[in-house]
Amino acid sequence: MQTDTPEEVVRRDVGGMVTAAVFILIAVIALWDTTTMVDADSYVFPRAVAIAMIVFCLLLIAWDLMRPTSGNGDVSAPGASTVRRVSLVVTMLVSTALMPVLGFLVSGFAAFVSIMLIAMYDPWTRFRTLVYPLVCAAFVVGFYFLFAELLLVPLPIGSLFE
Amino acid sequence: MKLMRLAVLASVLAVSAPVAIAAGPDNYPDKSVNYIIPFGPGGESDITARHQQAFFKKLFGEDLVISYKPGGGGAVGWSQLNGMKGDGYTIMGINLPHIVIKPRQKNVGFATNDITGVFMFHYTPDALVVTMDSPFKTVQDVIDYAKANPGKLTTSGSGKGTANHLAQVRFDKMAGVKTTYVAFKGTGKAVTALLGEQVKAEWGYTSIGAKHEGKVRLLAVAMEKRHPKFPDVPTFKELGFDIVSGAYRGIAVPKSTPEPIRAKLSGMIAQINADPEFRKRMENDGMALLDVGYADYQAFVDEKAEVYLEAAREAGVIK
Amino acid sequence: MPGIEYLLEALTPFNIMLALCGVIAGTVIGSLPGLTATMAVAVLVPITFSMPPASALILMGAIYTGAIYGGAYAAILLNTPGTPSAIATTFDGFPMAKRGDGDLAVTLACLASVTGGLVGAAFLLGLAPPLAKVALAFGPVEYFWLAVFGLTLISALSEGNLLKGLIGACFGLLLSSIGIAEISADVRFTFGSQVLLGGIETVSALIGLYCVPVLIDLVATPDKHLKVTHQPKGFRLMEALAISWKHKFNLIRSSVIGTLVGILPGAGGSIAGLVAYSEARRVSKRTEHFGTGEPEGVQATESANNATVGGGFIPTLVLGIPGTPPDAVILGALLIQGVRTGPNLFTQEGSIVYTFIYGLFLATILMLPVGLVIGRYAYKIIITVPKAMLVPTVAFMTMIGTFSIRNSVSDVIIMITLGVIGWVLNRAGYSPSPIVLGLILGRIAEQGFVQAWTIGAATEELGLMFFGRPISLAIIAFICLSLFYPLVRARWIGRRRKVRAD
Repeated sequence: MQTDTPEEVVRRDVGGMVTAAVFILIAVIALWDTTTMVDADSYVFPRAVAIAMIVFCLLLIAWDLMRPTSGNGDVSAPGASTVRRVSLVVTMLVSTALMPVLGFLVSGFAAFVSIMLIAMYDPWTRFRTLVYPLVCAAFVVGFYFLFAELLLVPLPIGSLFE
Repeated sequence: MKLMRLAVLASVLAVSAPVAIAAGPDNYPDKSVNYIIPFGPGGESDITARHQQAFFKKLFGEDLVISYKPGGGGAVGWSQLNGMKGDGYTIMGINLPHIVIKPRQKNVGFATNDITGVFMFHYTPDALVVTMDSPFKTVQDVIDYAKANPGKLTTSGSGKGTANHLAQVRFDKMAGVKTTYVAFKGTGKAVTALLGEQVKAEWGYTSIGAKHEGKVRLLAVAMEKRHPKFPDVPTFKELGFDIVSGAYRGIAVPKSTPEPIRAKLSGMIAQINADPEFRKRMENDGMALLDVGYADYQAFVDEKAEVYLEAAREAGVIK
Repeated sequence: MPGIEYLLEALTPFNIMLALCGVIAGTVIGSLPGLTATMAVAVLVPITFSMPPASALILMGAIYTGAIYGGAYAAILLNTPGTPSAIATTFDGFPMAKRGDGDLAVTLACLASVTGGLVGAAFLLGLAPPLAKVALAFGPVEYFWLAVFGLTLISALSEGNLLKGLIGACFGLLLSSIGIAEISADVRFTFGSQVLLGGIETVSALIGLYCVPVLIDLVATPDKHLKVTHQPKGFRLMEALAISWKHKFNLIRSSVIGTLVGILPGAGGSIAGLVAYSEARRVSKRTEHFGTGEPEGVQATESANNATVGGGFIPTLVLGIPGTPPDAVILGALLIQGVRTGPNLFTQEGSIVYTFIYGLFLATILMLPVGLVIGRYAYKIIITVPKAMLVPTVAFMTMIGTFSIRNSVSDVIIMITLGVIGWVLNRAGYSPSPIVLGLILGRIAEQGFVQAWTIGAATEELGLMFFGRPISLAIIAFICLSLFYPLVRARWIGRRRKVRAD
């Protein structure tokens, strides 16, 4: 095994290796699920793919251990806000989950306004405080009209209102 | 902000209020009916629905709005049916043998008896299809070839555990031969395989004979009597094989739909089915019509289920 | 020109208006992520009942053309393919937008789309019946090898780390197996969940893996979304025309590839774009720059995917077998009107077919001014709208768009989840494109493989099945070329450099 010399700072692609380990786990779960399949035609392909995946992941981990690179993942811009990121995802998930209950218009509007607040970096001037919420409403209602009336998509009404 | 919320709530209520007004059976339908097809657009279910759409408007004055909910060969739509509003304004297409076989395979989210069918309006009879210049001229030719070359006769069909597949299984058993069934995704791909001579024959439907007239020949049809559009094609029964089957299509409603509306809807579909112009169009497209109303639905499904399940067990599709 | 007498019929005011409205509506609909051409055409089917068949075809064809083109906007400006056919447009389109060349990319896409559409329509006009035979000659084996060829693109999309790309592709292949298997009626990888019965829907996965990570990063910093190096004035049309002329072979070749792929039932615009991109990259002098914002990349994919419109109509009209999903809907509408497809359509009902084809030419040509104008406004809107408005609008569009595909709330949840996974994977150095490749090509590869195996085993010609058919061999040759050509060329260039250096 390679030993680190004191001058060298060996930067390993930790992210890549950890992800590869997770993928191995996924492949194993997939292999386990194929044992429940009745027809031979069903499991040939997934098994081959899962095994290939495990092989590639092992190769990756081995390669990275022997010749460490610093990884090629995206680097976060300085000062990136994790809070905002998480809030965005949570807002989208929650509003989608609530759509069958509250209906499209209510949960959609709530999501729209919330995301606007999450993405807001400019100061709140009087103009903005007045205009932005109106634009939000206009967009939500406009899209509703386009999809529900023109394209005839059955958007959820919401069990609360039925 | 508070005013904004009130305004939104008010507008939402204004939009949803008309929907909340319940429809009694007398004035049903008084607005458009949502017809959900549990498959993608362009397929056979879509085309029959489009035919019905035109006549629905003509006979009842309201629009039949077709939307799609594909996934799992219909399972996604059927598993969500009973969660939908049961006021008669939401109906869904159903197919036999799908709703019988699928629940038996694995947990697909619904059981056959969860489906409240109100009418079975048409079926596409199974047929053995070959290309126009195929060396097989009769069903006997096929049997002879299969006996001489066990396993080598390849036939295409749509999916496994479907009407096509089950027809192949039953035929093999009755004729005492071994043929190889190759499953394709949808009838369209199965026909393409036949036309491109990737397989020697296809287990398809009579509608294929109509759609690809001049390019294919039907060797036999699985009906009681010969199909009006193909008077020269014998039935399997005539040839000594008791195969009368196909894919049946009908309409179902959510479980919560009240009885009077179910009965009225059944009558409405019957009316469309009785329209001579409708019948002509459907028959011209190679479909066969049948009328199984709400009252007879359960018995019909039970009877067909027995046959399908037995064939499926033999095919190894279900345990 | 065949059927020239019907040209005038195509140019009636009614038909011109239909073509124009269709292209505009199609472009707008195609640019909204989640709304596909299939959806747009399906909604309009009832309207076409009251029209003569030729006009109905012109309207649906125009919408189809516009929608395929419109997908480029979101692909270039938001890194989200508006329709699956625009996947490959994101590879070079988005990097171009990020460095300030977004308007150039949009104009290039317009010119390329028009070129592709015209080439596809020309093939439809002149060579439809013989080309339809090609569609039939493609059996399961050919589809399998074609999918494998598509997968070789992984090496190009892995951003230098081939193993990570391969792992991503395997992940995509596994994802494509979730749900009810078509070839065996088994239920796979659902773990008892009803939600996953329908499998992972391709378009929602695309939106999740490509667009959501962009949104997540947009909210994190106050920086602008796209770099703006100059005031947007004009369309940069002259510049785009110059580039298009310089790479005219690329345009023609990609259009031909697109037409041929469109002929194959079930292949569609996404595969056409990927194959054309792969080839353009292989033969270009600037191979290494592909993926960083090469105009050639955008040209290749956009001309290929619009060529599938004309190409897809070939099997649809000649054989009655839909070439692409919108063709299936159009076929249904025709059937209801009582129009029987088949070679007779070209001889006996020539008026319908030829009026339609000339109408398709018309719609494609109209796409040029329409596309340039709409494209300019799209670009201006995206770069001037403040982030606080842009992010919610795009997020909202993705949610409602994903819902509309299968009228399913669970699809939206899956989309968002995949988005988070995609963001995490980006951090770890795994690009989303190999996963998407695996997802799209997995189904085709698996079905082709299992079907070919079944037939080959039954006829006891397994080896001959996979390696003995002429078209298959040609595709395998391309696979080898695609894999080994870069290596050979690198060695050759290296050797030349060494010789010069000595």
